[in-house]
Amino acid sequence: MTAPSAEGKDLLGNDLTAEETRLLAVWESLTALLGDDLPPSARAAVQEAVAALWQAVNDLALTDECPPV
Amino acid sequence: MRDSPYWNPKTETLPREDLRALQGIRLARLVDRAWHRSPYCRHLLDEAGVAPEDVRSFDDLRRLPFTARDEWMDCQAEKPPYGDLLAQSPEDAIRYHATSGSAGRTPLRVLDGRADWKWIAECWCYGFHGFGIRARDRVFFAFSYGTFIGFWGAHYATEKMGCLVLPSGNMSTSQRVHLIDDLEATVVCATPTYALRLAQEGVSLGIDLAAGSVKRLILSGEPAGSIPTRKRLIEKQWGAKAADTAGMTETGTITMFECEHQPGGTHIIEDHFIEEVIDPVTGETVDYGERGERVVTSFGRGMIPLIRCRTGDLVVKAPASTCSCGRTWDLYDGGIRGRVDDMLLVRGTNVYPRAVEAIVREYPGVDEFQIHLYTADGIRDEIEILCEVRPGYEDQWENIARRLRDDLSAHNEGLGFDVQSADPRSLPRFETNAKRVKDDRVVKGDR
Repeated sequence: MTAPSAEGKDLLGNDLTAEETRLLAVWESLTALLGDDLPPSARAAVQEAVAALWQAVNDLALTDECPPV
Repeated sequence: MRDSPYWNPKTETLPREDLRALQGIRLARLVDRAWHRSPYCRHLLDEAGVAPEDVRSFDDLRRLPFTARDEWMDCQAEKPPYGDLLAQSPEDAIRYHATSGSAGRTPLRVLDGRADWKWIAECWCYGFHGFGIRARDRVFFAFSYGTFIGFWGAHYATEKMGCLVLPSGNMSTSQRVHLIDDLEATVVCATPTYALRLAQEGVSLGIDLAAGSVKRLILSGEPAGSIPTRKRLIEKQWGAKAADTAGMTETGTITMFECEHQPGGTHIIEDHFIEEVIDPVTGETVDYGERGERVVTSFGRGMIPLIRCRTGDLVVKAPASTCSCGRTWDLYDGGIRGRVDDMLLVRGTNVYPRAVEAIVREYPGVDEFQIHLYTADGIRDEIEILCEVRPGYEDQWENIARRLRDDLSAHNEGLGFDVQSADPRSLPRFETNAKRVKDDRVVKGDR
């Protein structure tokens, strides 16, 4: 995994929009949940959500991370 | 923003220099991950003298070695079933797929994980949305849902977009036409050949598809989706607009799509792929407008890092400005125009003559053979193997033909082969470089 983009910027150095900032916050919150001890139903749902949300943060060039699922 | 004609306006209209910068960032990520996680890729990069830190921008692409399906298959043969290409544990995979191998009986095998499948669908979304398909659409798939990856990603893409998906699985052609008509499908996804077959069936059934609900066709699997005469015929028979797309098992998804402006070519999804066009002999990049071999590097498939994969497809790249849609993504003028190698595309299935030969040669009752392709009823590609029966095997021929037919089908994604006997000494003989293919099809893909 390589480093995420600089604070408040996308991968190309542009300022994040308000919506992009919120998307990135959801992404960071979701991926953090993967480290928690969740029951199988919740863990699978979070894995699915992470895989789905990565498409948005990746499409919008908000992060250089690879999806951790 | 939600009414945008682009699935991802941010990257689909990115200035070219920014697009190059983004590709460079993603290339560095790809190489870093490939080197650290895939033994096959690490070996390849080490042999080329490239370390992950050497790749920092788009310009470093040329330092990377080419790869090819044959090498991928070699690595799977050495370490079956998946070789050492995978960048994640097979336990992370959620689905297996395969396509015809380039030699013998072994298929090319692929695995994908959760995020991979979401990404495979994502790339299809660019194409569907770009051709005007929206959540209100009812999308019919003329697809068998087997181990061939085909329209699987397209199915998930349309679910994701909120469309009503109409799968047809193992239905007959007649049942499919009835379903399209009964449920008033607005979009049909099929190979060009099968789109024509469905239209023909509609005529037989007295169902006027051209006056029906279908407004768009998404074509894939054969070059005919970008051949003007065939495309016009399909559009006329359906009374609908048709868009070409192209993908391959190595990428798992489409890498190009035709937008609603129908510019006579397919936009390259350049935020998820780098597509180069090279001289197949020298390996040097060719200019816009020059025909060459398509080479693909893919950023999104986590399980399988794909670096500079030589596809064998012949293409001609055109600048983005060729199309008036506003995308900054270059196009392939006329889609995929043919093959560098001898691979044949028959109803969306890759058929390698040398793989067919390897199977035929296992039958001692076959003395000589020829692969014959032709167009039936003016629309449908057929493949038959003409065999001279070795003296002494004549009374076993029916059994041999049946087994050979089943064997060839099983190793070519279920494609139906006909096997016929030919008169003794009627087929041409070859001392070297055997060319046992006789292609009489109306459309071969080579233009």
